[in-house]
Amino acid sequence: MNGGIAKKTLTHIGISFVLLLNILPLLIALSSSFRSVSNMTNPLQLFSEFSLESYRVAFDKMHFMQALGNSLMLTVISVVVVVLFTSMAAYPIARINNRLSKALYLFFLCGLVVPSQMVIIPIVQTIQGLHIPSSQFTPILMFITCSIPFSSFLYTGFIKSSIPIEVEESALIDGAGLMRRFWQIVFPLLLPVTVSVVITQGVWIWNDYFFNMIFISRAAESPLPLAMLGFMGDQTNPTAWNVLFAACFLCALPLLIMFAFLQKYFIGGLTVGSVKG
Amino acid sequence: MNSAVLKKTMYWFVVPALTMYLVFWIYPILRLFQYSFSDYNGFIQNFNYIGFDNFSQIFKDGVAGTSLSNTLIYTLVFVVFSNLIALGLAFLLNMKIRATGLYRTAAYVPTLFSAIVVGFIWSYVYMPDSGLIATVLSWFGVDGASLNLLGNYSSALYAITAVDVWKHIGTSTVIFLAGLQTVPVDLEEAGRIDGASSWQVTRFIRLPLLATSMTINVTLSLINGLKAFDYSFIMTNGGPGRATSTLLFEIFRMAFREMQYGKASALAVVSFIVIIAITIFFVLRLNRREVSA
Repeated sequence: MNGGIAKKTLTHIGISFVLLLNILPLLIALSSSFRSVSNMTNPLQLFSEFSLESYRVAFDKMHFMQALGNSLMLTVISVVVVVLFTSMAAYPIARINNRLSKALYLFFLCGLVVPSQMVIIPIVQTIQGLHIPSSQFTPILMFITCSIPFSSFLYTGFIKSSIPIEVEESALIDGAGLMRRFWQIVFPLLLPVTVSVVITQGVWIWNDYFFNMIFISRAAESPLPLAMLGFMGDQTNPTAWNVLFAACFLCALPLLIMFAFLQKYFIGGLTVGSVKG
Repeated sequence: MNSAVLKKTMYWFVVPALTMYLVFWIYPILRLFQYSFSDYNGFIQNFNYIGFDNFSQIFKDGVAGTSLSNTLIYTLVFVVFSNLIALGLAFLLNMKIRATGLYRTAAYVPTLFSAIVVGFIWSYVYMPDSGLIATVLSWFGVDGASLNLLGNYSSALYAITAVDVWKHIGTSTVIFLAGLQTVPVDLEEAGRIDGASSWQVTRFIRLPLLATSMTINVTLSLINGLKAFDYSFIMTNGGPGRATSTLLFEIFRMAFREMQYGKASALAVVSFIVIIAITIFFVLRLNRREVSA
């Protein structure tokens, strides 16, 4: 028995060590961010001072509330549209078993391997050609488009494996049309994937700076990651680290809070698609 | 099975997603091929077609070769290390011990940070003199000031790959863990009764049943590695020289800093072909190896 306890303790020590090493950069950045702007102590002396001065400076410099509002707006609109469009698209693809469905499925899936940076030149041209003004809302178009492949893949797999067609047949006998069957019967049953889509796509859209950088030029329209770009250069300047790290954590804070409350869904959402295959 | 539920009118449901996908994704990809044969600079709309000049130029001045090999090294290192480390972590976290939830959280948290934040924090880690690695080394009497991981030709690419590995591990670990939890306990016990050592249980029972999660993780990391852009952009700006200039970073630099849309498009076409070929090759091979429980 004694050997078992020793072994377990050793395992705990091993895992703790590995994971501590893993989050060490974050811990050090966090501790530095709690120092006053002028406190130049080595960042490795953890939590030697608790001051919110750096946060105050970073808060003002990145126009936090404004950026937070912009981030929320971009992410919520994009994710809602992605959920509606891709669940709808997946429905016939999963239900009807013919060549067209198979072709559409593969066609959407192909988009997964094409990186957005690669096609950004013609994308900008296309958007200009359609006379869509370059504004705060332009990145939403690309967030939605880039989320289509993975989300429709998740929805299609889930409908095929977990929503038997029988649930609709009784509704059909009761005279429910296609729209009602989808929105009232099928869509609610898709909740596990919807959670997964909201989380996987929401996290990347929230964190993305690339499309925002391309389309948004006014500071007042910047979401959080784009506001972070304003600190570019500070990372090689030790005197700016306290404020920079405070800004980093301000930027990450909304997602960290979400994660703290919805951890189960974050972890589960990641595996909905993967376990079913 | 021909159910009355199934009607061709259902295909109308695909239209919104398909329209966006065609207009903002497929059409631009096709335009890319058109631009790659032109001297388009982004401003003057009546550009000329110049045949394969862009292609021969990017290969002649070595840009295509360098960025291609950087991307391939990045991808190889990224796929191998992110999956091996995640697999090890998943085995550790799958043990019947307390506080695994807490450990899993610690493994997962880095994935929540934006690439730009991660880039900033790791720039500090790598800073010569006062950075994390340099300071720790100086405790052991090693002169950290001369150790400039990001500024050194031979180490910069590996240094930024390590950052991406660090950010990606949480995701892969969670997927492997989910796979491990689907391994039936009675199968493991049957193995032990037959006298298999714990290594043999892992090797012959757990690993084969992890094939699905392995396929997913390798595919995801492969796609992610070939898309390498963020840390070249945030941490090194492609440098020193072209040491960390990946395909996508080079396309971005040519297009938006040098305004050479034609050349950038030619490189994009090359990347497109390489990325598609590699992905298809691996996905087909991996899918053939899967076993089910």
